[in-house]
Amino acid sequence: MINEPTAIQHHPASFKDPSGFIFKANGKFYRQINRSYAENYDLLMSSGLYKVLTEKKLLIPHTEVIDNANQSPDWYKTILPEQLPFISYPYEWSFDELKDAAMVTLRVLKIAVKHGMVLKDGTSFNIQFYEGRPVFIDTLSFEEYDETKPWIAYRQFCECFLFPLLIEHYHKIDAQKLLSVYLEGIPASTTAKLLPFKSRFKLSTWLHVYLQASVSAKNKPTSKPATASFSKTKLLNLIQSLQNAIKPLRVETSLQSTWNNYYDETILSKNYLDEKEKIFRDFISNINDGRTMDVGCNDGYFSKILAEKNRNIIAVDFDSQCVNKLYLDIKSGTTKNILPFCIDLTNPSPALGFNHLERQSFAERAKSDTVTALALIHHIVLSKNVPLADVARMFAELTINHLIIEFVPITDEKSKQLIANKATYHKPYSPEAFEKNFSSYFETERKAIIPGTERILYRLKKR
Amino acid sequence: MLLYIDPGSGSYLVQMIIAGVLAGLFYFKNLWLKVKSFFTKGKKDEAAENED
Repeated sequence: MINEPTAIQHHPASFKDPSGFIFKANGKFYRQINRSYAENYDLLMSSGLYKVLTEKKLLIPHTEVIDNANQSPDWYKTILPEQLPFISYPYEWSFDELKDAAMVTLRVLKIAVKHGMVLKDGTSFNIQFYEGRPVFIDTLSFEEYDETKPWIAYRQFCECFLFPLLIEHYHKIDAQKLLSVYLEGIPASTTAKLLPFKSRFKLSTWLHVYLQASVSAKNKPTSKPATASFSKTKLLNLIQSLQNAIKPLRVETSLQSTWNNYYDETILSKNYLDEKEKIFRDFISNINDGRTMDVGCNDGYFSKILAEKNRNIIAVDFDSQCVNKLYLDIKSGTTKNILPFCIDLTNPSPALGFNHLERQSFAERAKSDTVTALALIHHIVLSKNVPLADVARMFAELTINHLIIEFVPITDEKSKQLIANKATYHKPYSPEAFEKNFSSYFETERKAIIPGTERILYRLKKR
Repeated sequence: MLLYIDPGSGSYLVQMIIAGVLAGLFYFKNLWLKVKSFFTKGKKDEAAENED
C-alpha cells in the first residue's frame, strides 16, 4: 500500500496527457498508467525497447507497484520511477545542455522506431539531467508506430529544441531565456523572423524553419484528419536530417563573458585561491548533508571540491557561458554528481504555466541542506542593490542546515570596481552589518579571514 | 486514437516535402559514396558509423 488516498497529491504539471499522471505519496513521485495507455505500455515493456533504453541510460528506469493508490476507475498500473535529485527546466539549461537534450530525444526516437514505437510528443520538458547527462523521463510518451504517418511531434520538437538552438547558434545570445516565455517552444514563424538572412542559405535551416513557417502559414487548420502516406525510411531520414542540423551548432566558449576568466585574473592571485581552498576544505570536512547548492559557482572550482565527498551538487550561476563550460567539463570528466544550471539569484525562475503550478519556481525546488556562496555577496548588494537584510532572508529561505559564505568588504578591489560608477549603495556594508543581519537566521560556527585579503569566510548554521 | 498535441495539417505537409528532398539528397549521397568506395577500395563506408 503506497499511502492513504487522502495523503496523495496529484502533480499539478501532469494533466496534459490522458495516458496517466504523476502523483506524490510518502515523499516519492509515482506515475499512474491509465487503461487507455495499457497496450502501449505493454508494448514498451515487451518489445525490448524499455530494456535497451534503460541500459543505454536514455530512459529513467522504474519499478511496477501493484497498487491502485488513487482508487481510480481508469487505473491500469502504477510505476515508481528512479527519483531525481533536482528538477530543472529548459530555460535554466545552457546551450550544450539543450543541445544534448535534443540529441537524446532524437536517439530515443530512433531506437523506438526500430522497436515499432514512436514518440507522441517532443517537448524539452520530457528531459531531465541525472548523473551528469540528459535522460528521458516521460515513460508514457511512447506509442505504437504507424509507418504510414509522419512524426506527430515533429513541429513540437523543432519549436522546443531546434529553433532556440539555431537562434543561439546564429546570434550567440542566451536564447534559452526565451523558453520561459515560450513554454511550448518558439513558433516557426517567429524563428524565421529572428534568424539572420544568411541562415536561409543553409539547406537544413531552410527546410526546417523557413519552409515550415511558410507551409504552416498557408495551411489553415481543418477538422479533417491529416491524410498523408509516409514510410519508415522517410521518418529515419527526417531524424537523420534533424541530427545533422543540430550536431554542428555551437556557441563560442572562448568568448569572454562576465566571469569565465574570473580566476585567471591577476588581481585574485593563485595564493588567494589556495588559502581560500584550505579554509573551505576545513569548513566542509565535517558536514555530511544530502543536497548542496553552490550558488555563483563560476567555473565550478569549488563545486568540484564539494563533489569529492560524493554529495549531490547543484551548481548555479547567472552566466550561461560559465554554466556551459562547467557542463562540458563534467561531461568529459569523471565527476558526475554536479548538475550545473543557469540561475540568476536576483531574478530566479518564477512559477509558470497553467494556474502558476505547472513549472515550479526556483525557490520551491532549491532548498538545500548546505548552501555555498563564494565571492558572490558583493555582486548582490553592490551591483544589484539588494540590502543585506534581504540577502540574509533569501539565504535563510534557501538553506536547511549550513551556509558557507564569503564576505567581500567594500575595500576589496572587486567591490571598488562595482561601486566605481555608482553615486551610492546600501550602507552599512561591513562585516559587522553582515553578521548582524545574518544572525537573525543563522549562528556563526566558524569564521576565518582569508590570508592576504580582507575577505572573510563564514560557516553559518541555520537556527 | 487520442492525441493530445495538434500536429497541424501543415506539419504533415512539411514533413512530406522535407522527406522528398531528403530522399533525393540521400540517394545522391549514397551514389557518391559508392563511386568513392570504388576508387578507394575497402575503406569503411561513412554511413556505417551510426551507433544505434
